[in-house]
Amino acid sequence: MSAWSSYRLEDFIPFTADVYYRLLERMGEDFWPLHLLTLLLGGTVLLLALRGRARLACLLLALPWLFVGVAYFMQRYGELNWAGRDIGWAFVLQGTLLAAAGASGFGIDRPARAIAPAVMLGMLLGLLGLLGMPLIAPLVGFDWFQAETFAIHPAPTAIVTLGVVLVLFRGIFLWAAGIIPLAWISVSGLTLLVLDAPWTPVMFAALAAGVLGLAVKSVAAYRRPPRGGAA
Amino acid sequence: MKGNTKVRTDRRRFLKLLSSALAAMAMLPVLSRAAAEGLVRKPIRATGEKLPVIGLGTWRTFNVGSDPELLDARTEVVRAFFRHGGGLVDSSPMYGSAPDVMGYALKKLGVPESLFSAEKVWSPAGGSARQQFQQLAARWGLPEFNLLQVHNLVDWQQQLEALRELKAEGKIQYIGITTSHGRRHREFERVMASGDIDFAQLTYNITHREVESRLLPLARERGIAVIANRPYDGGRLIKGLKRSEKVPAWAREECGCRTWADFLLKFIVSHPAVNCAIPATTRVDHLNENMQAGHALMPSPGCRQKMVRHIESL
Repeated sequence: MSAWSSYRLEDFIPFTADVYYRLLERMGEDFWPLHLLTLLLGGTVLLLALRGRARLACLLLALPWLFVGVAYFMQRYGELNWAGRDIGWAFVLQGTLLAAAGASGFGIDRPARAIAPAVMLGMLLGLLGLLGMPLIAPLVGFDWFQAETFAIHPAPTAIVTLGVVLVLFRGIFLWAAGIIPLAWISVSGLTLLVLDAPWTPVMFAALAAGVLGLAVKSVAAYRRPPRGGAA
Repeated sequence: MKGNTKVRTDRRRFLKLLSSALAAMAMLPVLSRAAAEGLVRKPIRATGEKLPVIGLGTWRTFNVGSDPELLDARTEVVRAFFRHGGGLVDSSPMYGSAPDVMGYALKKLGVPESLFSAEKVWSPAGGSARQQFQQLAARWGLPEFNLLQVHNLVDWQQQLEALRELKAEGKIQYIGITTSHGRRHREFERVMASGDIDFAQLTYNITHREVESRLLPLARERGIAVIANRPYDGGRLIKGLKRSEKVPAWAREECGCRTWADFLLKFIVSHPAVNCAIPATTRVDHLNENMQAGHALMPSPGCRQKMVRHIESL
């Protein structure tokens, strides 16, 4: 038997469902009532993105990535998974990228119309991550502290960010800023799949919407005449 | 008057409860001993030391980090395991916090006489085999291990050499090698045939029986004790059976299998080359089921064939 063909997805998830749900719960318990502030922060970021205040939106969005990278991955998830600390560093890198984009304005698109398809998809993802995700756990019978919240837990942080990236970024920067959120949404979806979590489809729906949004915006940019160019 | 009667009744009830509780407490060691005595034990061929046929695996299930609630929950699993007279607990530096969780449980429960501690060295965890041994011993809170194995054959030449030195120094009793999921069987066979090892750990269950053709006969020939991992194929086998099938009546009567845990575990440990199966669980009720499978009656060779045919027919 070939060694690689014998591996299954479950071989890469080194903990059981109760451990994962307790991890979500511990983050919820340990940082309550920070959730209220993070929801406010997420709402502000979405509003700023929609109003074209891109650089400030990016600067604010950097903070949750740094926090989740350290508090969730390095201090807690890393106890359960060998890759935890490395993923934590990837989150810190994403936070740094967003902060750099906010400080320099690099890669930021001109303000888009709110009815542009990518912007609409981005906003939908933003609302899903910010308001939809925290409601899923209590709706499927879990504890409120297990509710996944933007800037406390990684999945809603990645989903909101992917939405904001769709609204704010352009060209290669669109993909550069979206790749880590996309990667985490994929890993998170696969983890939930192995653990048989009831909200697994939400993660794959967010992943599909994110990829679709990035593709739509890239194609639209390809067809669009360059800035200041003749029509 | 009525009040007095109530007080008397309550006192009588309290005394009755107290005497029952004291009687139960007095019975505990007897029950525990009875449970331990009822477990089938097979000798490790290198020394003749007998090992209960049902052990405890820790992959995934004991990786709970520093969560106090889950640490206590797993301690209860370990408590139940030893109350049944369990012996072998198997872990690895690859299993995240599992060795620390064992250390937590043993600190809380004390180290029972029946414990047979089995650990592994694994190159990707970093450090030499000796350093890993020292770290793992500190994590379990033990001065030594009964068994130290080379995890998944990674760097087995150097690692086995180091394990032999540790064995010669008396820091470990037995050495071994492991594989799982049917990986690297040819190389595994070569090490079994040529290396001076006491234990071989491999995947063996009723749906994965490749090892029956070469590795298990070789283990018997070379006097190597065998630990069977993934007895429930990562949990999916028993979950599927419990969900959709009933244990057939003939299995109850002829093979002593009242539950699917009995059926699957008795099949494994009734193989003459297998010393011990190591199901992993997070739940005390599942642990109790698993340990029941370690009691006689064990399936005969004819019954084992019937069990295979039954599973293949589903």
